[in-house]
Amino acid sequence: MANILEQLDNEVAKLFASWNLYTTLIALVLVAFVAYPIIFWEEPDTHPLLLARQAQPSPVRQPKESATYRSLEVPHGYPLKTGLNVKDAGAPRWAGGKDGDIRDVWREVMKGGGSGENAPPAGLIITVMGSDAAYEHDLKDISKEINIIGKHLQQIGAKKVAIYLANSIEYLSTIFACSFYGASPILLPYNLPPNVAFDLLKETEADTLIATAGSLPLSDLSNATGLRQVTWVVEKTSRHMDWSGNDDANGRIIVSVWHELVDDQKANASVDLPSNDQSPQPGSITTVWQEKHGGKSQIVEFTQRNLVSAIGALSSALPLRQRLNSADLVLPADSFSHTYVLCHTLAALFSHASLAINSVAGPGVDLSLAQRSVSPTVIIASAETLAALHQKEMGGISNSLQKFAHVNQSQAMSAGRMPTDNLLFKLLAPRQNAAGATPGKLRLIFTSERLGTDAPALSNTMLSDLRIFTRSRICYALTVPKVAGAVAQSNMFDYRMTNGDTKYSHFGVPLSSVEIKLVDKEDARVDGNTPEGEIVVRGPAVAGGEVKLGVQGKFKQDCTLAYA
Amino acid sequence: MDQATTEQPPPPAEVATIATPINFVLLALFLILAYYRLKPKAAATLPSPPPPTVFKTFTPPTLRPYNGENNMPVYLAVRGRVFDVTPGRNFYGPGGPYANFAGRDASRGLACGSFDEDMLTKDLEGPLDKLDDLGDEEMEALRGWEERFSEKYLVVGKLVPVGSEEAKEA
Repeated sequence: MANILEQLDNEVAKLFASWNLYTTLIALVLVAFVAYPIIFWEEPDTHPLLLARQAQPSPVRQPKESATYRSLEVPHGYPLKTGLNVKDAGAPRWAGGKDGDIRDVWREVMKGGGSGENAPPAGLIITVMGSDAAYEHDLKDISKEINIIGKHLQQIGAKKVAIYLANSIEYLSTIFACSFYGASPILLPYNLPPNVAFDLLKETEADTLIATAGSLPLSDLSNATGLRQVTWVVEKTSRHMDWSGNDDANGRIIVSVWHELVDDQKANASVDLPSNDQSPQPGSITTVWQEKHGGKSQIVEFTQRNLVSAIGALSSALPLRQRLNSADLVLPADSFSHTYVLCHTLAALFSHASLAINSVAGPGVDLSLAQRSVSPTVIIASAETLAALHQKEMGGISNSLQKFAHVNQSQAMSAGRMPTDNLLFKLLAPRQNAAGATPGKLRLIFTSERLGTDAPALSNTMLSDLRIFTRSRICYALTVPKVAGAVAQSNMFDYRMTNGDTKYSHFGVPLSSVEIKLVDKEDARVDGNTPEGEIVVRGPAVAGGEVKLGVQGKFKQDCTLAYA
Repeated sequence: MDQATTEQPPPPAEVATIATPINFVLLALFLILAYYRLKPKAAATLPSPPPPTVFKTFTPPTLRPYNGENNMPVYLAVRGRVFDVTPGRNFYGPGGPYANFAGRDASRGLACGSFDEDMLTKDLEGPLDKLDDLGDEEMEALRGWEERFSEKYLVVGKLVPVGSEEAKEA
């Protein structure tokens, strides 16, 4: 026994006898390699187990239907989120709020910057024009405009007001004016071929049109549609022309001009907006869902209840400390005619965030173009825009240093952290300019899959790459024609790359304004913890209360929704 | 002794070689650590929850076996709704004070506040108890029970009389 020990001792002694300079070096590297992650420990952005089960399936299911899945915010047995939780002035803190409607969004904006002790900070509304001009609007002026346009609509007896505008403050003002003065806005996609626009105007039975001056030929408007009123919105640079002439329309359509209406009555207009008792019940909001731009259309009418529940759900879908607040500048880089964009925009206004409006916004707009002269912290972008950005940036990764940095950052992401802006990453990172002048400031991008349209698929890998390129977190949502806002939206901290890569990434969990179940003829498919079947959505954000999407979906083990 | 060492020629400057056993050992250790560091880690997973219970349509005879005996769950029906009261097995299961209700329509018993055998519908094949003869006070008590059940227990099915349309469908 002792012999063996002695021999062993000798061997070890021999081993260490050959210690030399190289050994010291290797030992040092080894110690550093072990100690580095201990000293520079970085926590994941959220607890990994919070991502392991993100929604709540109901414990009981109907035959041939899967369990009903809900957001963790709204446990089973409690009502889904129905609105904005608006509280009357002076109501006690613990009192429950009302659902409210779109009028309450603007009232909340006007509360900003008030004199009271608890007054929230005022958000800015900025219009970005051209390459380097940004114009900040006075909120009181916008209130006046809402009053002027609303009264004008009321006087002419407008019931259904079609909006054919690029993203602009007039777009939002019209929606608010309609809500305060009892008209129903119709949100048309912009830049349509004239005959498609005419068909939509006829189909939606619009009686009034608010459109960019010269975007549609007036003479054809009177023949092809049932319009009685047109209000042109004229850009500053074209105001010297006479837009009020209605010779072409044969007198059948009364033409007015936005800025003339506003200028005439600005002096007398009140900043105070009508209260709920003074103004009629706000009308519905009609949207148009197109399979491709200018293609086959589906017209969907949303009630105000649908929209406010979507706004409420979208704003509470983010983790508590990451929600939109007055420090954010939100840039919608997609058209307001998509309810996901509109609801996020209204949610931003409701939470006193600042808003940058750019008229180039639309599906597929270049991100760097959309955010010229502003540095937004939150961007709402179309899938087209992000797919194009991904292609451009992946093409830009050529040398091995960049590839190494890319792999390195992907690894940090799969460990659950956003790669930080440290020196190493700055040296090695791919080109940064794609996401604006100050990439460090952008924190969040909302993007959406539009069901059954030509919107490109964003896969898990693409989203992960895009997070690295833009240095921001990305929420990917599933949007469908008949659900205001979105059906489901992914968790902003979910960067996991496991479970293989499918064409479409998963869409996260249901928003708190809807619940989702899957139905199938075969009971076995919808049983268990990973059911598959046709997606059925129900809840206050759904037009008509419940809708079958006609597409196969599945819930994964982590309770996220994906296409099957 | 000192002299001896000074007189000896200095040992030839040995070229330190990297290929020593200890270097190999350390390098191997390094490679193993690097492998474990770089190996993609499986995402955290939670154990699978039990699969959801299927909502069933019961008739009084098919509800009867759900009385907690032979390892069956404990169900009871209140005005057509079947509650899974297995978590309250001590009360509703075999030997509990409310054991009579297990696997039965408990509406009348709960309404009248009586746990006796004669509160139960005798004829399992017959129509369900309509509770038409009960007074306001008793119906109020029943509603209270129903509310408590809905808060505490899951509704796992509905109770229909034997021979009804729904029973044939199920």
